[in-house]
Amino acid sequence: MLDAHVIKARPRFTVDAVVRVAAGESCGVFGASGAGKSTILGCIAGAQAPDGGHVKVGALALFPPPLPLHKRPIGYLSQDANVFPHLRVAENVRFGVGNGAGADESWIAELRDRLQLEPIWREPGHAISGGQARRVALARMLARKPPLVLLDEPFSGLDRRLVRELLGAIVEWQRRLGFTMLVVDHEADVLARVCSRAIVIEEGRVVQDAPWDVLHAHAATPLLEQLLAPL
Amino acid sequence: MLYPLAGLFVPVGPWRWGDGASTFDAVRVSLVYTGIAMLVVVAAGTPMALYIARAAPRERLFWQAILLVSILLPPLALGILLSLAFGPHSLGAFLEHFGLRMTNTPLAFVVTQVYVSIGYYILGAVAALDGVPAELETQGGLLGHDRTSVFWRITFPLARLGFAVALSLAWVRALTEFGAILITAYYPAGMPVALWTSLENFGLPAVMPLLIVFLVTALPLPWLAHILAQRRLSRA
Repeated sequence: MLDAHVIKARPRFTVDAVVRVAAGESCGVFGASGAGKSTILGCIAGAQAPDGGHVKVGALALFPPPLPLHKRPIGYLSQDANVFPHLRVAENVRFGVGNGAGADESWIAELRDRLQLEPIWREPGHAISGGQARRVALARMLARKPPLVLLDEPFSGLDRRLVRELLGAIVEWQRRLGFTMLVVDHEADVLARVCSRAIVIEEGRVVQDAPWDVLHAHAATPLLEQLLAPL
Repeated sequence: MLYPLAGLFVPVGPWRWGDGASTFDAVRVSLVYTGIAMLVVVAAGTPMALYIARAAPRERLFWQAILLVSILLPPLALGILLSLAFGPHSLGAFLEHFGLRMTNTPLAFVVTQVYVSIGYYILGAVAALDGVPAELETQGGLLGHDRTSVFWRITFPLARLGFAVALSLAWVRALTEFGAILITAYYPAGMPVALWTSLENFGLPAVMPLLIVFLVTALPLPWLAHILAQRRLSRA
């Protein structure tokens, strides 16, 4: 499904990582802060321009040459929620699907209810909190039912109770809709709830790509061992 | 700042219209041709502003430097340069083949207004676009909207008051232009030229009514744009 080789120069190091995820699979990208995880996701999504490599989703080449953003079969939740401040929450969620016959109303209602957006449904985007904005952005992205979902630290800024509920919802939706998912996070316990395996990144390079039990039993580097150790 | 307006209350003798018909013509010429010039400025300037706002820093500086030329040139000097550049010994000869005269014609009037005002519009529009995070546009694209749709649904609504302020600056700049117009299009006389000729021919009493008309037509648009922008800032 996803076959990406991302090369991107950064100030301290060059990201040079191969990421492959099978159709319908859920894969984590794990590593310390500043390791280059978000760069990889941004280059796959098209939010950042890679310096080299390639990105393919199925038979569709996203790079090179760069495919226009609106033609990419991708849902991307970046670290900043990027809720449109001039639109109401309902308009934000419907932004990718519109109000016409193409909109799946029952799906939008399910997103609204499961992500607890009902109380703020008519609020303008500039008036909601950071945690609410992340839920709006998640609903907006999932409303289109994209075949490939990229989540960059989707639960930051949310309380533990909400994170638990969202984790359950995302796992259920991923199984039901069958989308392929790549999730970036620096918290192993969060990633392990949604992904069966993880690609570990250190200074822009893949140092290990394995299921969680293997990572725990045979961490490839001392840093990974530290990151996986309980507090 | 408002002190110069006290001049309206200085006794200069009984006010009178210098020449009613030519005053009306001057108002019509200024408003109609400035309106046409603004259409050109918006149609040409908006894509340029979009390009410059999203260009690499070095290229952006280059284009901004070019635009500053039209802003920084003394109006009289710009008028002389325009009349030479579009005169019979240069591009003007070519344009004459198509029946387009670039001296003392409505075309010359509008072209001069576009030159003197488009820099203000583009630089103002670039500043307005800078206030729209590129990430929002990226997100709009990834949600299935092409560039045109992203502009109308995200970029323009978020930058529209900045665009309005830029347009109002360009409007005032074009409407009030005297030096360059004096050289390139003394005829058809717009309000600034009519003010000058009224002053020369009939003295201050004949200028005052036209001065009021001038203020009333030039000020409301920028005032309105400024007030709307402030209201939006205070709501944010």
